[in-house]
Amino acid sequence: MARLRRFSSLIVLLLIAVLIGSINTNFFDPMNLVRIATTCSIPLLMALGGMFVIQMGSIDLSVEGVVAVAAVCFALLVGNNLNGYAIGLWALPVAIVVGALTGLLNGLLQVNLRIPSFMATLGVGFVGIGLATALLQGNTVRVLDMDVRAIALYRLLGLPLSVWIVILALGVAHFVSRHTVLGRHALAIGGGEDLARLNGVNVRRTRISIFALAGAFYGLAAILAVAQFGQGHALIAQGQLFTAITAIVVGGASLAGGNGSPLGTLLGVLIVVVVSNGMVLMGVAPYVQQGVQGVLIIAAVAIALDRAKARVVK
Amino acid sequence: MLTLKNVTKRFNGVTVLKGIDLEVRKHEVVGLIGENGAGKSTLMKILTGVHQPDEGHLELDGQPIVLDSPRGATAQGIAMVYQEQSILPNLSVAENLFMGREDEFSRFGWLNGKKLHRAARVQLAKVNLDIDPGMLCSELSFGQRQMIELAKALALEERCQGHLVILLDEPTSVLEQREIDTLFRLVRQLKSRASFIFVSHRLDELLALSDRVYVMKDGEVVAQMAAAHASKERLHTLMVGRSLQAEFYRESLQKACFPDVAMKVRGLSLQGSFASLDFDLRRGEILGIAGVVGSGREELCRVLAGLLPRSAGEIQVHGKRLQGGGPGAAIRAGIGYIPRERKIEGIVSMLSVAQNMTLARVGQVTRCGLLDEGRERTIAEEWIKRLSIKTPGPDALLLNLSGGNQQKVVLAKWRNAGSTILILDHPSRGLDVGAKEDVYQLIREITEQGVAVILTADTLEEMIGLSHRILVMRDGEVAQSFDCLPGAKPQQVDLIQHMV
Amino acid sequence: MPITLDVFRTQAPLLALVVLVALIAGYDPGFIQPSAVLGLLADTSTLFIMATGITFVLLIGGIDLSSQAVASMASVVIALLLPSMGIWAFAIGITAGIAAGALSGLLHTWLRIPSFIVTLAIGGVITSLTMLASANRTINIDGAERDAWFGWVTGQTAGIPNEVLVAFVVLLLCLFLHRKTPFGRYGNAVGAGEPAAWASGINVNRIKVMTFALSAGLAALSGVLMAGRLSSGSPTLANEFLLPAIAAVLVGGTALTGGVGGVWRTLIGALLVSVVRIGMTFVGVSVFAQQIVFGVILIIAVAFTLDRSKLPIVK
Repeated sequence: MARLRRFSSLIVLLLIAVLIGSINTNFFDPMNLVRIATTCSIPLLMALGGMFVIQMGSIDLSVEGVVAVAAVCFALLVGNNLNGYAIGLWALPVAIVVGALTGLLNGLLQVNLRIPSFMATLGVGFVGIGLATALLQGNTVRVLDMDVRAIALYRLLGLPLSVWIVILALGVAHFVSRHTVLGRHALAIGGGEDLARLNGVNVRRTRISIFALAGAFYGLAAILAVAQFGQGHALIAQGQLFTAITAIVVGGASLAGGNGSPLGTLLGVLIVVVVSNGMVLMGVAPYVQQGVQGVLIIAAVAIALDRAKARVVK
Repeated sequence: MLTLKNVTKRFNGVTVLKGIDLEVRKHEVVGLIGENGAGKSTLMKILTGVHQPDEGHLELDGQPIVLDSPRGATAQGIAMVYQEQSILPNLSVAENLFMGREDEFSRFGWLNGKKLHRAARVQLAKVNLDIDPGMLCSELSFGQRQMIELAKALALEERCQGHLVILLDEPTSVLEQREIDTLFRLVRQLKSRASFIFVSHRLDELLALSDRVYVMKDGEVVAQMAAAHASKERLHTLMVGRSLQAEFYRESLQKACFPDVAMKVRGLSLQGSFASLDFDLRRGEILGIAGVVGSGREELCRVLAGLLPRSAGEIQVHGKRLQGGGPGAAIRAGIGYIPRERKIEGIVSMLSVAQNMTLARVGQVTRCGLLDEGRERTIAEEWIKRLSIKTPGPDALLLNLSGGNQQKVVLAKWRNAGSTILILDHPSRGLDVGAKEDVYQLIREITEQGVAVILTADTLEEMIGLSHRILVMRDGEVAQSFDCLPGAKPQQVDLIQHMV
Repeated sequence: MPITLDVFRTQAPLLALVVLVALIAGYDPGFIQPSAVLGLLADTSTLFIMATGITFVLLIGGIDLSSQAVASMASVVIALLLPSMGIWAFAIGITAGIAAGALSGLLHTWLRIPSFIVTLAIGGVITSLTMLASANRTINIDGAERDAWFGWVTGQTAGIPNEVLVAFVVLLLCLFLHRKTPFGRYGNAVGAGEPAAWASGINVNRIKVMTFALSAGLAALSGVLMAGRLSSGSPTLANEFLLPAIAAVLVGGTALTGGVGGVWRTLIGALLVSVVRIGMTFVGVSVFAQQIVFGVILIIAVAFTLDRSKLPIVK
């Protein structure tokens, strides 16, 4: 039973998929599977960023704001209807850098000013949305650069480029988490910050780096969002925060830190997306979806989390 | 080899260490003893680079050195094996062994897992631990983790060309006897490769393992002697300033217990731990429960306190069957539990002394649904006086009290709740000699008043010294019962024979 | 009481509030006109009541993310039932809130699911139910109905808006509950040391369920007030209230980790959040920059007011 627990997220996903598929076989239709993969892309990037922060035992509430400001910057730099900038795909690294810098700010606030991550990232999130709003001055920016739109529209082997980009990002996340000193130290801090410090882990540097890394992932998410919607605006990521965190936890990461993995996060995002996809397929009324999702999240977490180990659940 | 010369340290104007001169030679074990507050932990922190001395300096092989951080200390070959383990349970053995030293196994941040595991196996062999380096440390036993701690310190050997000094900070207080024996054997073996500083409260262990002993009191080294020339009594006197009464355990105060039975246990079982236990506990009696890990004694204490549900059997308290489970039912019946993990289960450190004392019986200070804080303070002040608790006042946060005084507050909580049966789970753990004596005195006082005590203790010596009777448990059953009257106490070896 | 650094730090939120009000008033004295002040207090009332509920949950070491959903639900219940049930609509609305909170608490204690997840999920369920009940549209409360039943919210007593008085009553009751009753003591113990509280015989599960029920009940009350002010109920009425409410609690000085803080602190936090929000328009901060200013001030406020001595590790 204990060994099964490690695969609990996967089992839950398969169960849900089978359940939905048995009610509506269109679920397994290749077109639908592609749709699921595409829908997962942006949330997965956001969840991966958030996962690294949660592994340290902190939390990152700034994702909506970081994606907003990165998206607006990105949209304003590529060919658009508001200004004359058109640096094309050179804007891609810019967006990622904007994300990383905002993440860096989160890290600095937390480490140097000793502000708990909950508050620091909450504030930075507000600032991000504010900056995005201020940059637009009330206008709407529409992206005209077709190369950028191609990220979402062009298909390679049946999957949009965005999905391939996310697969690559997932690989990077896995590598960082399992095979780099940064990734292991993040888990060490989550396992016990005092202990990690005692053992010679440079907690400050690791913290700042992880927040910046998360920001880079958010920047990438912003690129995909702009490509998909064809525009950048301050509320482009509205409502995504809690979805991302839910996905991370459903994927097996504890909010207290010290565990979790990119693959687990992928499973978490899949579960959330599959559930909403399934509801659409089954013709469930749109406003019921949120509720059903809530019930399923509780069920998934109830099964997936190793709660027997946690002596105290907060 | 490693010398401290005239080291002085002040915090906020208070001098914590005064002119410490200390030397650790190659291939020796130096014992360090002193009461809590004598400055031992500050000294350890200076040796591990956490603090720097205000005056004086350190020398390694005659050359002055500066330890500016924990990393700096390990770079110089000084490593600490921590009491409350410094291992991260959510990471693997190999990762823990080399935590903070990954640059030896990585390039541009990429960690070479295979190289790490190979190196880990080499280190594990040094402590005779044959486990997979990829195992998560949460899956290891307590004793195994302590060995990993030691291996981690030893792993510095290769880096520091024979200067290795390992600090053992009270390593035995959380170990069972068998593990302690293994640790001592290892340390003796390893003396050829490293020197040790062994800090402990347990005088006989200290004398057994050390070559030389330093005694600290009030921030100074008051004595230094070869272990062979020292005796427990002399050490105790130097540490505490008063002589070790042959009476450490206040045996002369051990009075006969009352005839009436406070608790009757019949057929008590807990699946997987113990089965069909029967015994009686009289008022005023101290019943010791001895046994190794796995004998079921820990679980028995927790079942009696209501913290673990029983599978079968019954517990009668003062003639009435204990109904239901959970701590609430046990407390209402008059059972109190002083836990081994005081900081987690015994006290709420962010609440005040008074609030902690009334926690098990809040109803006492509630009038018409409201808390009467004035009455609460008055009650607290009474207990502070009765138990001689050192605290700025009843409103002081428990966080700020020393371990011994915190333990007294826990005792006050149960006395206040009217407990007539107390289950003491390692009551003197983590306390210095002076605080231990206070606790033993208090135990004698309450038993004289008729409180019945079930005791499970750190050392057999403590249990033999305190108890009226001892039950030795093995594999979930009572293997033997010993009477333990003053003047006719059993020997440790008599008990051990039945424990294994 | 000697002015030590510690005293300064614990009173820092209050000082920040005073300084901020002084600065804004210096810029535009209209800010401290009685009518403006009362308007500010009235606006803050609903935020404060919701934040108070969240305070209790934070004190036991958890978090409540269902507050805005419960508040919106209460507004819809009122809007739907007022015509037919009159004053009973209020009772039903608040009871529904309490039930929702109790459900969260039960799931949290039985299934041992972290409160972050369970309240988020229950919030989603409640939003769906509310959308169903209202067919996802805003329901207006007829003017006459409003005057008949909502007088206690929308009217004035002795020149003070009734909402402020309601909030004041909530303040007193909750201060009392937290500091002077066993429930408050147990809550502090559970938040600051749950294993020790349990080992001391405290019924931890019951305290947790009651706390979540209380929090949701207060959220429902704030939803009722909102319905009165806006004369309508909708499933999204209280959106964008959750994060400011949590911010209000934290800025006031209640710790995320539990055991430290209280209702008084939340009042100051709520006032701070409100003063910043409303003060910005007085000072003439451009609409586009307001979010930025809010975020920056939030960060600065926390940087100064947080009592880091009580937080050995900053996560």
